[in-house]
Amino acid sequence: MGERVQAALSEARLLPANDEPPIRESALGTYSTPRRLVIHVPVLLAQQPDKIEEIVGPPVKVAVDAEGDYTRAAESFAQKNSVPLKDLTRVITPKGEYLALRKTTRGRPAREILPEILPQAILGLTFPKSMYWTEKSAPRFVRPIRWVLAVLGEGKQAKPVDFEILGVKSGDFTFGHRAKSARPLRVAGFMDYTKKLAQAHVEIDPARRRASFIREAQALVEKASLKIVQDEWLADWIANSTEWPRPMLGGFEERFLHLPREILITVMRDHQKYFAVEDGQGNLRPHFVAVLNMDSDARGLIRQGHERVLTARFRDAEFFWNADQKKTLLERGLLLHTITFQSGLGSYANKVARMAKVARVIFEALQEKKLVAPHEWENVFSAVDLCKADLTTQMVQEFPELQGVVGGLYAKAQGRSDEVATAIYDHYLPLGPEGQSPRTLVGALVSLADKLDSVVAGFAVEHQPTSSGDPFALRRQGNGIIKVLLEFKISISLWSLIQKFHEYLAGHAEEGILTEVPWSRTLPAVHEFFRERLEYYLENIRCFRYDTVRAVLAAAASWDNPLDATERVEALESLRGGEDFEAVCAAAKRIRNILTKSATVADWRPGEVDTSLLKEPQEIELDQAYRGIAGEVARYREERQYRQALEAISTLRPAVDRFFDKVLVMAEDREIRQNRLRLLKKLDELFAGIADFAEIAQKQ
Amino acid sequence: MPPRDKSPRKVAGPLTFQAMLFRLSEFWARQGCVIALPYDVEVGAGTMCPETFLRVLGPEPWRVAYVQPSRRPADGRYGENPNRLLKHTQMQVILKPPPERIQDVYLESLGALGIDIRHHDIRFEEDNWEAPTLGAWGIGWQVMLDGLEITQFTYFQQSGGVDLEPISVELTYGLERIAAFLQNVEDVYEVRWNETVTYGDMRRTEELEFSVYDFESAGAATCRKLLDLYEAEAARLLDEYPRNRSEEQDKAPKRDVAMISSITLSQQRFPLRKVYDLCLKCSHLFNILDARGAISVTERVALIARVRKLACEVSAIYLERQPAAEASA
Repeated sequence: MGERVQAALSEARLLPANDEPPIRESALGTYSTPRRLVIHVPVLLAQQPDKIEEIVGPPVKVAVDAEGDYTRAAESFAQKNSVPLKDLTRVITPKGEYLALRKTTRGRPAREILPEILPQAILGLTFPKSMYWTEKSAPRFVRPIRWVLAVLGEGKQAKPVDFEILGVKSGDFTFGHRAKSARPLRVAGFMDYTKKLAQAHVEIDPARRRASFIREAQALVEKASLKIVQDEWLADWIANSTEWPRPMLGGFEERFLHLPREILITVMRDHQKYFAVEDGQGNLRPHFVAVLNMDSDARGLIRQGHERVLTARFRDAEFFWNADQKKTLLERGLLLHTITFQSGLGSYANKVARMAKVARVIFEALQEKKLVAPHEWENVFSAVDLCKADLTTQMVQEFPELQGVVGGLYAKAQGRSDEVATAIYDHYLPLGPEGQSPRTLVGALVSLADKLDSVVAGFAVEHQPTSSGDPFALRRQGNGIIKVLLEFKISISLWSLIQKFHEYLAGHAEEGILTEVPWSRTLPAVHEFFRERLEYYLENIRCFRYDTVRAVLAAAASWDNPLDATERVEALESLRGGEDFEAVCAAAKRIRNILTKSATVADWRPGEVDTSLLKEPQEIELDQAYRGIAGEVARYREERQYRQALEAISTLRPAVDRFFDKVLVMAEDREIRQNRLRLLKKLDELFAGIADFAEIAQKQ
Repeated sequence: MPPRDKSPRKVAGPLTFQAMLFRLSEFWARQGCVIALPYDVEVGAGTMCPETFLRVLGPEPWRVAYVQPSRRPADGRYGENPNRLLKHTQMQVILKPPPERIQDVYLESLGALGIDIRHHDIRFEEDNWEAPTLGAWGIGWQVMLDGLEITQFTYFQQSGGVDLEPISVELTYGLERIAAFLQNVEDVYEVRWNETVTYGDMRRTEELEFSVYDFESAGAATCRKLLDLYEAEAARLLDEYPRNRSEEQDKAPKRDVAMISSITLSQQRFPLRKVYDLCLKCSHLFNILDARGAISVTERVALIARVRKLACEVSAIYLERQPAAEASA
């Protein structure tokens, strides 16, 4: 709203004109509470400056006759602007001499203009979700507007500005805190406004509210040598939902502390908006800080109320915990066939079976590279087998945001190994591209299996994202797969993994599940999906230059091992800006153009470069330079030493430059032409093993 | 924890559950509300009763309040959980159009229950409400009393897929919670219904039995079949509704007045509220299937759309008949 009002005032020329923009921006103060939006304009012109305009009329040669008298054209110009003829002047323009007049528009007082511009500035505000309340066609606002305070001036000069918004007449009054004052408070200017509201228990500045309750809350717990579990989201939430925040220390029965920290904090933070309290060692203590929207709790009734509610919530959680333990996760796994995953994809039992297969495929690939030992499969398998069992628990039904976490906690409580429990706990991670990944490799494998199943099986039943939406959040899952593969440095061909999974799915279609899948359409779509995800991740999350990313993804060397592709991007990016490298890129583009545009099929004869046909010293030099590094580059590439490979390629620069300087590729003689093209083709292939340099944007 | 308590509500003695119903009914009756009876078909919320769902449509002013037992199968806890109920009791209030002072009036209603807002932390926290099966949504708050959610406060914007004009305000009190708060008991089953009978005496067995059915005994296949049957019956009736064919009517105003009045007559006789009951039956069966975990994400979307379609057709017909109903009144 601040910006809108600022724009409206500035358009109405009511702000001091000669102020520098930054000063003007800081001049306007905006504040808010759950019941009010406030704008304070500290400096405002009482009156618009007069506006002087020069209006250009007809050319002098038309408006003035030979005797120097005004013609009819001049008269009508003067008439139209209602000025006497004597006020007309002349101006010289590039097109000649013209009649002109100066017109002065008297500035109007702010008091008159404000009622015209303020309603629009206020109602023009947009909200994520807004409503109408007078009539359907009326402008919308976030909640019904009940009063409007508009005062111009301070102290004795203060006067209300009269206008009307949706039937509400503005005035010079406001209301204080609900519980404090029901009667309107009359205010004279902004100073008086903040003072009277403070007396009526309203602090209009959210930043001051936030700072004050945080400070007081810390003081409260420090007395007991405790500290608050910091939570920025919660602090903001409270600052924005109170007018007069005062923290209060409450307590709960110590016995609830046997519940896991995650559950206690979820109840306090997400459901009750309380801060959790811990000791110096980071152990939760049986206290909480609630922030009231009022000054005091003289009778202790409020604390009692909050403690009661929290106790009830904890009892619920305790009840769920105990009730849930009556069945182990293993037994709960047997109930998963009753919970549908997605239509066409069967139950969660079906999903877990598919996940086990994907996990096995990844595991075997890692085992081949000796990145895991065979006995570790047991942990992966148990974690996959149990990871969805918590969906049958009351705890997860009550706190859906704790899915996975609850499974991990229960696994631990039921004597499962830390490896398995942690993997279950983490397997929904990462929750977003910036989110944390699973902590362990076993967790990473379960996470990958879960997400790969959702994506591949999801595409098979046409759940893929479209331009208008992604109802099954498959993009998020795809981003998660890329992120985990990269962070755990899992070097694996995603494509061969998907193909193995596809073979399994195609061979294990059960009734009503993944039957009649158009795989010939599905697989290319999955392939393209992962290319997009990798591109998105590298560009937007890792912030590599878009053309670096594109060069790698477009290279002949496949991107389908995301780790490998990323290493190539990193190498390429590290050389960007180097003079030699940029020159080689330019040459690569030139080579590509010659090969694809200038050369025709007739010019082309595959084969090795025939050194006997190399005539010019520059082409001989280039051929030798190429032969000098080709073996080296191939070896570096093999060892995934991409940076070294690229540095070797960069050494070609002088030879390439001289070649293009002096040698005409498309020579008259066909054999020579063909031979030169073969040389260029060799270079092109050399580059393409790492990236398509032609994609690198050239510096202008 | 401090010794409990020297609350002023002790002076008058905490209200019994039934006394609360009386107080709130009297309060809203004084505000001009009709005190209606609870509806006799299973509903998930008081919003779904015809006194709300249908009456918020159209231009006529309307004020109503009623107590409505509301069933949410997924919330069943076999009568064992001290705070969670499969069937809880709502006090539902509709004011159409909403008075400008409505938030203050609402706070006064808390005063009628003995809650002095100067000594409690009352908050209106942003909470926008949506009932996809009814094609209804609104903008509003949840009202928190010392951290306890006691009321949903909603400015209705749409119902049955129709933009409302004028809008209504809906207040939905969760009576068990407020009663437990007023009586200072930790377990809802210990709430005194009157001086001698507890909430547990009245309701515990019912909670157990319905929980057993909804979670264990309900046959998913049968529930699906029933849902299909109720839906088919509703669709059959809707097919028989004589739609206004305004163009044809315009063409033949003089020629066939008899035909038109017979259309109007059969429109007025159309069992619209029965269709709506069938729609409510579908909605409840959907909730039972959901509680059993028998509905997938995609199926959920499709089922909600099926119920919403019925609800929207009902509102459309209700609105179409409105002018005629006015004329005949």
